[in-house]
Amino acid sequence: MNFIDRFMASWRKYRKPGYYEEFDYAWTMTVDLDRCTGCGACVTACQAENNIPIVGEKELGRGREMQWIRIERYWEGEYPNAKLSFIPMLCQQCDAAPCETVCPVSATYHNQDGLNAQIYNRCIGTRSCAVYCPYEVRYFNYYDHHWDAPLEQQLNPDVTVREKGVMEKCTFCVQRIRQAKDHAKDDGRRRVKDGEVQPACVQTCPSEALTFGDRKDANSVVAKKMNDPRAYHVLEETNTLPSVVYLKKVRANAD
Amino acid sequence: MTRNALGLFRDPDSALAAAGRLKGAGFERPELMSPIPIHGVEEVLGPKKSVIKRFTLVGGLLGAISGFTLAAWTAVLYVHPTGGRPIITLPPFLIITYEMTILFGILATVLGFLISARFPAIRERIYVPETAVDRFAVVVACSSDDLLQRAESILHEAGAEEVRRIAEGDS
Amino acid sequence: MQTEVRQARFADVNDDVVRSLVVTGRNYYIALGIAGFVTLTCFFFPWFYQLYYGIGAAGMNSPTVWGTYLASFIFWIGLSHSGTLLSCVLHLTNSEWRKAMYRSAEAMTFFSLFVAITMVMVHIGRPWFIHWAAPYPNQMGLWPNFRSPLMFDVMAIMTYLTGSGIFIYMGAIPDFAAVRDRTTGWRHHLYVLLSLGWRGTDKEWHRLGWAYTFLAVLIIPLAVSVHSIVSWDFALSIVPGLHQTIFAPYFVVGAIYSGTAGIVTVMFVLRKYMNFEHYITKLHFDNLGKLLLLLSLLWTYINMLELFTGWFSGTSTEYEQLKYKLTGFYAPLYWEMILFCAVAPLLLISRKFRTSFVPMLILSIAINIGMYTERFLIVATTLSRQYLPGSWRVYVPSLVEISILVGSLALFVTLFLLFVKIFPSISIYEIKETMGVPKKHGEHHDT
Repeated sequence: MNFIDRFMASWRKYRKPGYYEEFDYAWTMTVDLDRCTGCGACVTACQAENNIPIVGEKELGRGREMQWIRIERYWEGEYPNAKLSFIPMLCQQCDAAPCETVCPVSATYHNQDGLNAQIYNRCIGTRSCAVYCPYEVRYFNYYDHHWDAPLEQQLNPDVTVREKGVMEKCTFCVQRIRQAKDHAKDDGRRRVKDGEVQPACVQTCPSEALTFGDRKDANSVVAKKMNDPRAYHVLEETNTLPSVVYLKKVRANAD
Repeated sequence: MTRNALGLFRDPDSALAAAGRLKGAGFERPELMSPIPIHGVEEVLGPKKSVIKRFTLVGGLLGAISGFTLAAWTAVLYVHPTGGRPIITLPPFLIITYEMTILFGILATVLGFLISARFPAIRERIYVPETAVDRFAVVVACSSDDLLQRAESILHEAGAEEVRRIAEGDS
Repeated sequence: MQTEVRQARFADVNDDVVRSLVVTGRNYYIALGIAGFVTLTCFFFPWFYQLYYGIGAAGMNSPTVWGTYLASFIFWIGLSHSGTLLSCVLHLTNSEWRKAMYRSAEAMTFFSLFVAITMVMVHIGRPWFIHWAAPYPNQMGLWPNFRSPLMFDVMAIMTYLTGSGIFIYMGAIPDFAAVRDRTTGWRHHLYVLLSLGWRGTDKEWHRLGWAYTFLAVLIIPLAVSVHSIVSWDFALSIVPGLHQTIFAPYFVVGAIYSGTAGIVTVMFVLRKYMNFEHYITKLHFDNLGKLLLLLSLLWTYINMLELFTGWFSGTSTEYEQLKYKLTGFYAPLYWEMILFCAVAPLLLISRKFRTSFVPMLILSIAINIGMYTERFLIVATTLSRQYLPGSWRVYVPSLVEISILVGSLALFVTLFLLFVKIFPSISIYEIKETMGVPKKHGEHHDT
């Protein structure tokens, strides 16, 4: 093959949009709002798993809380007839993520698992990814956080502790995914089995509202749930192609 | 060793006329020194060509090529898929190309200016500080004393306020 | 005798400029001392505090992660726009009135850009790694992400800084030569280096003319692209209120608008305190006033267009954004901006207003306050009202931010004060050209 052919071949390869389709996995989470009770166990589990700092009352009041998964509450109506609805909101691991293109130093990019990865070491803290994210799920380290003794003993050794000036967000517990992939390789299997890996929030959810898996595997639980007629994406009109699928709450007195 | 005759004038027109006469008398191309750019030099002393525009053009083209190469090649060197876009994404890379075109164009223009106007000056050159204020000088190089005297008389005739002899080191 | 008078005036220009460089009064040192002190206490101390404790020292919160630092960045980039851009356009159109003012206008460009880059350093979370955004080969094998609008910014601003620096320097080479002959000591050595051995020969003038014109031609599209690119930092996002096609021209017009107002302010100060009354006249203020009026009308038009497109989009998020902008938490600031940038400049329609110095000074400062508000609102109103109502939160700048804002102004003033003592702040040879070329036999000739 001569030079021009090789050049044209690589040109076509690199000009192809949606490069992520060739990735090994497409990790997906489904959130069944019918099952969700809004208990907040996922928030706590995430906090424990991912070394998320507790910012304290003062900083919380200034709007600098760190919750990679949060329960958003919406009140409808006035007090006696108030209706509460809630939705767990976490990084949607978008396939066409607005946050990825804007980072000047490539601190956030799409990795081999179709995840929206954040490289803390590379981040210079322009915070533009947080602006570009329509879901507001990127959290910035306004300070160096510290854990009072003996709390530092419970830090997860598989996860880094982030320094000030760095953006962080939900990783779908990438450390667990790595571990599962390593186990699969050690066992001589090529792929991770469905249900073998679960992020902390999914593992903790008492009502099993959250499920996690690979949507490339047509027999996985998530692939089946995605076909549910209740399935939708949050802010679908922004065309970010999220990897988190919500299942609509069915209300008795649907209005 | 060359010697130079230098005439100082109070207005650019006389200086230019003197330069024209010197050129007509067969001297080397005289040099004018002035506090402001003199208009009409080319009509008297012949047209001047500037290579600066070629520098700008070549610089701009080089900038366009290197700008696109920088963006595209570095994207391929370490592949970071972002936002579902192709690795070589044309619209943003064309913006980088645009900026680099202008950057290289500017730098090449400066280089062209420095080379064509012989800057920075390393050796001593003929200079009269009055020309930075309000005098217009005509300098002509003369190979012999005869020529020097002729040049001086021409300068006097043209209405020079002052005529000097300046020796220039072999350069 | 006419010639005598004219030539004496030629020498006067040199005298005036050299005097402005060498003779330094007590007031200058007081001004420099105050500006330097304010820079140190209001800019560098709070910044070091913020570097030590983290960006938390500023008032940013979770949805509004950008704040006054970025607003200041856009403001300073905008202020930089009139200098070199205006100077280039006026150079190419042979406008005589440019010649007295362009040097200080270009210096404004250069220093505003410098302050803008400093604001980026203040803005980002880990400024000690800012070099990662520069394209250079490194042992990590990592390059910046050229798909990012922030990266366009890096390239554009670096090009602009280089271009405007070269442009102001190149136009000043003959002037360095002129003051080189009149100074002593360290200044003399400095000017010997800066003037590159300029002698003023016909060849040198010819080459300078060509190079200067080419630079002007290159810098005009560059300057327009710089602020367009700054606008794309915002417009390429999908945030309601930022995701607008009008943003590039909006920012460019806004930039030239605030830059021209900045020039009026600087002209006033130079005229008053550097004794350049002969060179900076009512004519300059009249022309700048007309330009300001035109720009204010353009700016108002684009603002109305922005409201219209928001309304026309028909989406709930854009409606909410509009409602919030016009009546929400930041609405008083919005109406202040409309008053200062759209209503007050209508006074410029009167020639009497344009040619009176103090009202022009007040108006120019008001316009720049309004334009700063505009930049602040672009960041604050849009980011605090995005898609998910669950994360709506208002943002109020902290004391550190306000202090750094004041300090950045002082930093600019300090740099400018140093500049007027090192650079000839009006162009000697171009002033001479406007004074008319001396003629033989006492002919009188004005250009």
